[in-house]
Amino acid sequence: MIAVQDLRKTYDLDHGSNVVEALRGVSLVVRAGEFLAVMGASGSGKSTLLNVLGCLDRPTAGQYLLDGEDVGCLDADRRAELRNAKIGFVFQSFNLLPRTTARENVELPLVYGTAPIAEHRGRAEAALQAVGLGDAAGRLPNELSGGQQQRVAIARALVNRPRLVLADEPTGNLDTETSREIMELLRSLNASQGLTVMIVTHEPDIAAATDRVIVMRDGRIVSDTPTAGRRAPS
Amino acid sequence: MTVLAALQALGRHRARSALTALGVVIGVAAVIAMVSVGQGADASVEAQLASLGPNIVMIFPGATTAGGVRSGWGGASTLTVGDGRAIEKECPSVAGVTWVKRDIAQVTYGNQNWSTAIQGSPPSYTLVRDWPLASGRFFTASDEDGAAKVVVLGRTVVEKLFAPDEDPLGATIRAKNVPLRVIGVLASKGQTSWGQDQDDVVIVPFSTAERRVIGSAFLGTVNLIMVSAPSPAEAIAAEQEMRRLLHDRHRTPPGQDDDFTVRNMAELFEASLMASRVMTKLLATIASISLVVGGIGIMNVLLVSVTERTREIGIRLAVGAKARHILLQFLVESAVLSMTGGVLGAGLGVGAALVIGRLAGWPILLSPAAVALAFLFSGAVGLVFGVYPARRAARLDPIVALRHE
Ligand SMILES: Nc1ncnc2c1ncn2[C@@H]1O[C@H](COP(=O)(O)OP(=O)(O)O)[C@@H](O)[C@H]1O
Ligand SMILES: [Mg+2]
Repeated sequence: MIAVQDLRKTYDLDHGSNVVEALRGVSLVVRAGEFLAVMGASGSGKSTLLNVLGCLDRPTAGQYLLDGEDVGCLDADRRAELRNAKIGFVFQSFNLLPRTTARENVELPLVYGTAPIAEHRGRAEAALQAVGLGDAAGRLPNELSGGQQQRVAIARALVNRPRLVLADEPTGNLDTETSREIMELLRSLNASQGLTVMIVTHEPDIAAATDRVIVMRDGRIVSDTPTAGRRAPS
Repeated sequence: MTVLAALQALGRHRARSALTALGVVIGVAAVIAMVSVGQGADASVEAQLASLGPNIVMIFPGATTAGGVRSGWGGASTLTVGDGRAIEKECPSVAGVTWVKRDIAQVTYGNQNWSTAIQGSPPSYTLVRDWPLASGRFFTASDEDGAAKVVVLGRTVVEKLFAPDEDPLGATIRAKNVPLRVIGVLASKGQTSWGQDQDDVVIVPFSTAERRVIGSAFLGTVNLIMVSAPSPAEAIAAEQEMRRLLHDRHRTPPGQDDDFTVRNMAELFEASLMASRVMTKLLATIASISLVVGGIGIMNVLLVSVTERTREIGIRLAVGAKARHILLQFLVESAVLSMTGGVLGAGLGVGAALVIGRLAGWPILLSPAAVALAFLFSGAVGLVFGVYPARRAARLDPIVALRHE
């Protein structure tokens, strides 16, 4: 699914005097259907890695193959198409459009995709059903709890049937119980649909619920291990 | 779909969208109202010019004082029928000459009576003034020669003396106790620019007025000589010729003011028409500025909106929107705001023009071209002032936009 080789990302803030090396040569292979976590201290480059893998950001150097396609050097429009068709994002702060119903939020990727307009509503409602929010389609984000909002965000990530879901601290704003529910949801999607799921997290409990944990420090991967409770691949 | 997104975005901020559009509403309304009112003013000046006769020069007895004030209508009996005849004979630029003797008189018919202007004029009067009759006929030379007791009535006098279904032709009215047979009714001419009802008049042959009705201390004196010319240029030439002729005939000593006053109506109205047109352009210009201000209002709100919605733009980019989707969304928002403003403004402008016209009492010319132009202009304003904010939105980097607080 994902194969990166010596990936580098530098932020050149004020033309040379303040260069931040967020990624300093990351090599990683993720196979389709994997469920893995990325851990590491704040500022170690986890989000940067996820953004590059999600085609939101371009690497400064290195090679990135997504499904065998070299996507490191694609232009903005082509990357937008990839984000739309192949990748679903889940963010720590949910990032739902305010004053917009759950269903309209979930429809958003369809608006920029290729699905016929007539199907939008049905697919959005099906995606909400799949995350257990079938009856909240008409509610606004501020009428939903944090856990419900994150479910809406997951439904939005899934509505275009991507093969890869990237979640940057998806439970960072949620209490323990709700976090567990969200992790169960992601796990079940991984198990039932063979979805590749990659989660950034600070919490060992959350990481332990995945199959593989990558630890980063200063823009490099310092360990890459299967978790103790790893299940047999289904 | 992007269009729908734009409409939804506007719908989510209804109050703000309405206030933003209000700037354009007022701008478009102002343009349409001002142009309509201005063109209406032009038209009313033109109508007055036409009602007086397009190229009329009037000569009054009495000198113009230093301040430009005449010494009153007929205050001095210095103008005569002889002057009129001489003008007819000796001024080549003159097309027609007529003269007027005027007084105020009580006219009665049955038990109705009405105080009106009584006027004596030769048969040339209706020709010079280009004033057709609604019914009957005007005087002939034999009426004039015989001082016939006949009268032609203005519309207003007919309305005051006769019942609506009564035919005034052939009736006998009395003016200053002289019985006069009605032989004609003048077509309605309306008001002069100074608000005088031109239809409130009865006209008798000049000789009848002089000998039977008004009377005269000096035979042959007139209150007004009226001259028509074929064109405005010839009216000006005629004015010069008449000044010279009357100056000579009246043997005005050198260095002394002429004992008559000339008013060239064409000139007068040309000036007021010009003033009214300048006014129209001025009003339209000011109104256009308000439309541009409305456009800047749109740009301002969109710029704030782009900043405020940076995160929204980031989310849209993250789920697969391309730069042109974002560009289009903001352009459509801008165009919808300004076009809605244009439609509402056109309605408001037309309404305002009608109200102003009613209050000011002049005709309103609603020009469809002005309405269409103001509408198109508002659309253009929306696009032009929408481009900058829209480009700013479309150029945002997804990561930067998503990190925006
Ligand atoms: N857009 C950016 N501009 C400048 N520096 C950035 C940007 N994004 C991240 N960085 C820097 O890159 C480093 C890695 O950041 P990040 O990937 O967000 O870390 P993490 O998610 O592990 O906390 C940090 O030092 C951060 O300050
Ligand atoms: Mg981070």
